[in-house]
Amino acid sequence: MADYREAPLATRPKTLDPAEYFNLSLDQRRAEEERAGLRAQLKRQYQMQLNNPHRKELIEDPALTRWVYARTNPYNHFRATKKTSLLGGLFGVVPLFVLYYVLKTDRLCLTP
Amino acid sequence: MAAVGFRNWARALSRGKQPGFSALFSQIRAASGPSKGMLPGPYPQTPEERAAAAKEYNMRVEDYEPIPDNGEGYGDYPQLPDRSQHERDPWYSWDHPDLRRNWGEPIHWDFDMFIRNRVDTSSSPVAWHTMCKHLFGFVGFMLLMFYLGEKFPSYQPVAPKQYPYSNLHLERGEDPEKQPEEVKHFNI
Repeated sequence: MADYREAPLATRPKTLDPAEYFNLSLDQRRAEEERAGLRAQLKRQYQMQLNNPHRKELIEDPALTRWVYARTNPYNHFRATKKTSLLGGLFGVVPLFVLYYVLKTDRLCLTP
Repeated sequence: MAAVGFRNWARALSRGKQPGFSALFSQIRAASGPSKGMLPGPYPQTPEERAAAAKEYNMRVEDYEPIPDNGEGYGDYPQLPDRSQHERDPWYSWDHPDLRRNWGEPIHWDFDMFIRNRVDTSSSPVAWHTMCKHLFGFVGFMLLMFYLGEKFPSYQPVAPKQYPYSNLHLERGEDPEKQPEEVKHFNI
């Protein structure tokens, strides 16, 4: 399996990923422990709320709130660069003209 | 291992400015109505902003990497690995098993694309070149054969239909007195 090559846009299976076997230095282990600590805290918070007998409302997920907010408010951080202007023009302005021309010339008399 | 992490983290927190029990929970807190610091903001320019953003998203400062600022409106949202939910361990006890996600875990920008009904980035069971060869080989072969079938049609021998009664002389409305012409369909 030394010559395994993953498909484009796909990932390696976990058992063939070298990071699983070679990430053994102390710094990496400390990093993994910190991540596990964060995860454990979140799990604990969720379980405390879930099993609280006095809870009457839904458990709100702040990560979800942030994701929804970020996805619905991109214009706050929008900047007109070359790429964004090009995309805006291509998707917003050009179709108007193209569709007008195509629909006009598709009539039976075939004149604009 | 998680207990060790918790101890270190609690020790780091107890050195913080807020006294007492609330210090343990000030870093990660369920937001009952998010405040300004809890919502995503603009792209972080200084290391302090980065640290604050990492804390807001419940990530380590070293792990936090904002999406590159190209004006498309991402702000300080973190760039998480483009891995589909198909790849996550099916046997781990997730908080939300169908989404294979834990509560409070930072959500990928394209999370709704990576759910288990949609895009799958896990490794394919067969190598890419094998898949390409099989698919294009089959499709190419079928196209070639259909093309040859169009070019060289092959069917049972056929002839124009032969009608009895002198080519249906009377049924076709011709004059009954007139003698119909003899049409010979075969030679014995």
